[in-house]
Parts: sequence; C-alpha cells; structure tokens
Amino acid sequence: MEIQFREEGIFLPEIGLWLDNITGCAATWISHGHSDHARGCHGKAIGTSTTLRFYRMRLSVGDNEEEPEMIPLDFGQSMDWNGARLTPFPASHILGAAQLLVEWQGERLVYTGDVKLRQPLCGETTESIPCDRLIIESTFGLPIYKLLSRDEAIERIVRFARGCLEENTTPAFIGYGLGRGQEIVHVLCQAGIPTAVHGAIAKFIPVYQDHGYAFPGWEPYQAKSISGKALVVVPTHGSALEASGKNVRIAYVSGWAALDNARTRANAEELIPYSDHADFDELLSLVAQSGARHIDVVHGYTVPFATILQSQGYSAAAPQRTSARTNIEAEG
Amino acid sequence: MDRLALVCEDIAKYASRLKKVSLLADYFRGLSDEDLLLAVQFLSSGPVLEGPANHTLFAVEEKIKLSIGGSLLRDALQTATGWDPKILGICYSEVGDSGETTGLLLRGISAGEPLSLQEANAIYQQLFRTRLTARKRELLVGAFRRYRPLTIKYFVKIITRGLRIGLMEKMVEEAVAAACGTTPAAIRDANNRLGDLAFVALAARRGELESIEAQLFHPMEFMLAKPLERVEDLPSPPDWIVEDKYDGIRSQAHFDSGQVRIFSRGMEEVTNAFPEVVEAFTKVGGSGLIDGELLAYRDGRALNFNVLQQRIARKQVRATLIAEIPVVFVGYDVLYHNGELLLHRPFEERRRILEETFRPLPMPLLLSPQHTIATHDDLEELFLAARARGNEGLLLKRRGSIYEPGKRSGAWHKLKRPYGTLDVVITAAEQGNGRRATVFSDYTFAVRSGQGFVNIGKAYSGLTDTEIKQLTKLLRSASTDKFGRVMLVRPEIVLEVAFDGVQKSSRHKSGYALRFPRILRWRPDKRPEDCDDIAQVEALYKASLQ
Repeated sequence: MEIQFREEGIFLPEIGLWLDNITGCAATWISHGHSDHARGCHGKAIGTSTTLRFYRMRLSVGDNEEEPEMIPLDFGQSMDWNGARLTPFPASHILGAAQLLVEWQGERLVYTGDVKLRQPLCGETTESIPCDRLIIESTFGLPIYKLLSRDEAIERIVRFARGCLEENTTPAFIGYGLGRGQEIVHVLCQAGIPTAVHGAIAKFIPVYQDHGYAFPGWEPYQAKSISGKALVVVPTHGSALEASGKNVRIAYVSGWAALDNARTRANAEELIPYSDHADFDELLSLVAQSGARHIDVVHGYTVPFATILQSQGYSAAAPQRTSARTNIEAEG
Repeated sequence: MDRLALVCEDIAKYASRLKKVSLLADYFRGLSDEDLLLAVQFLSSGPVLEGPANHTLFAVEEKIKLSIGGSLLRDALQTATGWDPKILGICYSEVGDSGETTGLLLRGISAGEPLSLQEANAIYQQLFRTRLTARKRELLVGAFRRYRPLTIKYFVKIITRGLRIGLMEKMVEEAVAAACGTTPAAIRDANNRLGDLAFVALAARRGELESIEAQLFHPMEFMLAKPLERVEDLPSPPDWIVEDKYDGIRSQAHFDSGQVRIFSRGMEEVTNAFPEVVEAFTKVGGSGLIDGELLAYRDGRALNFNVLQQRIARKQVRATLIAEIPVVFVGYDVLYHNGELLLHRPFEERRRILEETFRPLPMPLLLSPQHTIATHDDLEELFLAARARGNEGLLLKRRGSIYEPGKRSGAWHKLKRPYGTLDVVITAAEQGNGRRATVFSDYTFAVRSGQGFVNIGKAYSGLTDTEIKQLTKLLRSASTDKFGRVMLVRPEIVLEVAFDGVQKSSRHKSGYALRFPRILRWRPDKRPEDCDDIAQVEALYKASLQ
C-alpha cells in the first residue's frame, strides 16, 4: 500500500483516505481528540464516537464551508472504505483515542496515532495488533524516558496533594486541557480530596462522566477561594498561581517531568513523570509485538528512534523530519 | 552516598533557601564524624586526594581536585549501556547534565547495590591514583554497573563539580553551622583561616573552631569590587581611598621563610610562571599573604594584558623571556602577617602593615599608589590620569572597611569603561546548561567583512531570561543547520557587545578575538548591514599596541 507522508497529514492514495489530516480534506481518520489532531474542516471525519464528540467541540465551520459528515467507528466494529477494511483498536492515550488497522489487498497497516501500552488512568487498555507495516509515534523515543505506571502515578499525585494540605499549603497540578487534566481530577476526587478545576479542563469532564468516570465533589476553580483544596490547572495558568503568592506548591504531571530541567520550565516543586504517551520501553514493546516488517516513525525523536530500531535489526525509517523541540511544545 | 543523593533530590525541589539549608542540616546531624567529613567535602569542593597516613586535622595538605573529562565519562557510559555514541549525544543534549543523563540511562542496567560515602570515596581515591585512562574507564564502568542509578547521578555530578540543585557554597556553610551548633559567621571565618570546609565542620562539631589556626598556602577567595556606573554615583567621596585598577592578573602571594606560592583568581596556581617574583618574595621577612596584581611592566608603566599573557602559558620560563617581558607584583592588601589573620582589621591598618612589609623592597615588588579625593571632580581627574597611564580605571576602597573574601559587598568599587563596543551579528547559537539547557543562550557573533561576515567571538552573559527566550524563538526560525547543541543561523540578529581588549587569535575566522566580551544589549533596531566592519577591529587592535 502506498503511504505519503505530508505536512498536513498521512495520505493513503489507493483508498483516498487521510490519517490525521489537520488542514481540511475530503476524508480523514481522526485518531484522538487533541487539538493538534482533531482539527480542520473535513468532508468526512471517521473516528470513535468519543473522538468525534471532542472534534465537534473544537470545530469551527467557516461561512463557505459545509458541516463535516461524522462517521463513528467504535471498538469492536469494522467498516469498508473504498475496498479496504478499517478497524479501530484502543490506544490508551486519552479517552476515545484509537489505533487504526487498515486491511487492503491482503496487507495489514496499523497507524497508532498517539499511543501508550500501559493501562491509562481513564480509558481502555491498548491492544497490540499484528500487522505488516506500522506507523508509530516517538514523542518519548529516547532511552532517557522511563515513565511511571498508572498505580505509581496515582500514589504520587495523592501523596503530594495530601502532604501539601497537611502543611496548610495549596497543591496545584499542571495538566493539559484534555486528557491529563481530567485524569488528575478523577484521581484526586476518588481519593476524597476537595478539588477545584480550571475551566479549560472542566469543560470536558461531562464526556468522562458519560463514560462512567466519577468526579465526586469537584468544583470550578475560583482564584479567591483556593485554600484547603487541590487545584488542577492548565500549563498557561501555572505562572499566575505562582505569582499569586498564596502558598501554592506546583506539581507538574507530564512525560517531560522525567528530566530535571522541567522543574525550571514549569516552575514546579514536584515532578511526576507520567504521560498519555508511551515511554521508550513501551515503544519498543509495541514495535516488537506488532511483528511489522517495516516501521515508519512519525512524531518526536523520529530519526534517533528509527536509528535505534535499525540497530536492533528492524527495517525502520523516519519519513517525516520534524525537530524534537517542535514536538516537545506540542505534547498533549 | 545513597542518602546524600536522596537529600540532594529533595533540596532541588524547593526554591526556599531556608528549606534547602534545613534539609541539609538535618542530614549532616545524622552523620558520623567520618561521613560528615566526606559529605561536606563532596558538596563543597568535590573529591579530594587523601594525604599521607600522618595527615592530621589541622595540617591540611594541598587539595588536589579530581579531574575527569566529559569524554571519559561518556565513554564509560557507552560501555556500561551499549548505546551508540550518536544516541548518547542526543540524550546528553536533551538532559543538559552529564550526571543526570548517566543516572537516567543506567535504570534497569545497574545491579542497584547500596553505596556508602566511604565506599564512594574509595572509588574516587582509586580514580585519583591511576594515570591510565583505560583503568579509569574500567573503574567508572564498574561503579555504573553496580550501584543505584540515582546514587550514580550524584556520584558523577560530584566529579563534574556541578550539582545543579540550587545549592550554593554559602548554604553548605549555613547548614554546617546549623548542624554543628554555631553561627554561619564563625564557620566562614574558620574556613577563611583553614580553606577546608569539611575539616571546619568536624572541628565545629567537636567545639574546636577556636583552635583552627590560619593556614597559608591554600588559595583564599578574593574580595571583589562592585562596578560603579558613573562617577557621580559614588556616595560621599572623602570616605574613599582611590587606587589604579590594573589590567593584569589578580593574584595572591603566600610566603613563609623562603617558601612562596602564587595563586591567581580562579584559584589557579601560577607560581612557576613568575620566577623573578617568587625570588623577590623569598627575601621578604616573616610570613604573609599579599593580595595584588601581576603586571607586565617597563619604564615605569604597565604594559597591555596581551603582553603578559605570553608569560602565563609557559611551564618553563627562560631568562630571555624574563628580560623581554619583565613582570612586577603590585601589592595592595595584606590578609595575613606573621601568624595573624588580618581580615577584620580596618583597611588603613592593613595598608600600614603592607607598607612596613613592602616599602624597603626593590623591584619587582611594588606598592600600589593611593590617592584621596574630596569631590567627584577629583575622582574624574584621577580616572583620566589612570587611563593615561595605561591602566583600566580606578578601584575605590571605603575607609575602615574589613576584607570580605569572595564578596562584592560594596566596600570596594571599580570604575572602568569598556575598552570598546561593537555591533555584531549572531551566526551560531548553542544551548546552555542546567537552567538554560532548553534555550539557546550562548552566541557566536561576527563583524562584516566585504560582502559577508567573519566570526570574532562568543558571549553568553548580559541578557535577561526573557530576552533569551525571545531570541531562542527567533534563532530557531533563522536556523540553517544543527550539530548537536549548536545551531547555525542566518545572520539577522544584531547585538551590541562590550569588551576589554582585542587580541590576535586563530580561533575565529576574523583572526582576532575579544577579551571578556559581554552582551550590552540586543539591538532589534539594527540590521546586519549596520554591523561594525573588520577594519574597525583592526584599528582597535593597532591602538592597543601603542
């Protein structure tokens, strides 16, 4: 199957389907609901129901544009598309995130989108899909990145929050607007810790509730009343909190928190290296379990990770050259 | 050592100086005497070569520092992990710290055995004693494979002398004071006498601080002068004593009955480069520690620093070179005299002792001339006269002030104006280290030459963090190529740099290098074609030879 790696997304010309097109096209698969994937006004948008719900929340349709046709494709379902068969599998990234299996003329292609292998805080656990060709991300594709498991992350988040509250200080967690943010709120609420949530994160909570995740006792964040509560805010709000001088102590929950230099970047006291992306070892496992005869690496440390795969005997390439730094800013 | 690593990780978390000091003090309190000695030493000076067996508490030998280069550490890490050097290079660049990278990459590889401070010291001692690179590498690889990754992170940071946990030497002193039940001032004072914080800590714990006698022959920190922007900024001119500021090497001469050693700033020993000065000090009676300046000097006049520099590089100085480039030592303060430390005596009294010691002496020992002033106009006049004598400017010392090693307290001021400034364009940028690991903070810059640009220097100080962030964005978009941490950029961004001199140099394509280049300001108002020309640099160089 021919695969074209382009700036605006990945294109499969024989079946006329884009994968995560971000500028607007006739038909695309949307792997998950983050704004750097679920964007652009498309003719047809295929994704899990949850992903399409996030996409619709973000969508702005221009005057001369038509409302996209939404084609839900959920786990356990398959659909035919221009002679190919499309089947989604969980990607454990954020709620609704999916890998896509494309079967065409006897060849199996898997596009992971953003993926991790371990059980997420919220969402389905990833399945490994045997395939011939694998297109995988490498946000944390260097051996320096080893991240916490789900249970370790829960323990660290709760311990930090309780420790701060016991000392009459205010714990503030920095998480991304969609995914990490709701997951941290969920963990804190489940532990019985009063939690105030920034609006950019709170607006997606109903979607999580609809999937059965409980958020007992959360309240909207108000700058005036923060004491005695844990705060969950988006990264851009972290410096405002720090400047408020109200005894706020910041925890940064991110894969980038694996390195000490994240501390100054996030102005954080506590670094909790947990991510909705796979760490280095998980990426290697995903590759090994797929049994693919060729691997294309498309995000993050593409060149070094492809080089590492080659040195381990795989046929691998980094077809899309993006600098590692550009992707650091794009995580989440 | 495992505990030390955990304590350091904890210290890194907190911005509060009090919190850092209290964490460290708690740790010190729980240590045995032997462990306290090592922990303080590792955190303050790094590993130290152990002296002979008869080494006693107060007879401290010269401290030799462990020197292991980045490439050896990288080699050892490559052997221990099996990672390709290219992949390792990218990892180092993302992390920005050798010890941290090592710790991160050893997870899942090392056996995770515990390591005590004593055992860590034993490995450092073996590293000191072997001269074979292969053996050093073997020792490092062995340690990397055996002990806990987090411990190895700090084991390496202690070798590279950069903990990067926001812990300054002064905080270690404060923690020692808190843990040993005394005041930071008493610790600092004892440390000035002895020059070894680890032994000071032990003495403090035993209540023996008073018995620490001043020791010569260990470099003491120099007192520093605060820059004075304008003549008019000096409060109350009659309170100040004025001396010339020389363009030489700030040095301290230690002497005691024929034994002489000279240390420059940066605590380098330069004794061997200046035999005629050493010879002169052997004839000075008694013992002493003189703060002063080494200068190239002919016909009653200081020569340019460029001339003096030719003397520093030599290991062996031949008689012809001594005749060709005569050197003097201009004394301006005395910190120790015949067994007594004079730091707390008023400046005028120290000066009187210095004059008694120095006055009867012939060349090459000189006394720095002093002046008094009544008005700001007097100061301006003295400044111009100092410049006319070929000196950099003036030093102002407040009457009655004490000598504060390592401090820029404002009891001393310096008045100088840069030798020159140039408008230059950035041609390459490099990622910084530590706090600046994620931004491009080190800039190579160029002046115009014909239709193009030629590099002339590199600078990394003078801009604010916000400016560096903004520049990083602009530089990334102007990038043409990247090699590891260095990025080549289109010549678009103009800086104004100040410097203290121009030298011939083969390091840069222009054939010249600037002394102490620093960034004065970013000039977004200027275009690359507004930059200065290589002819300007040539003219400045020629003028400096006059």
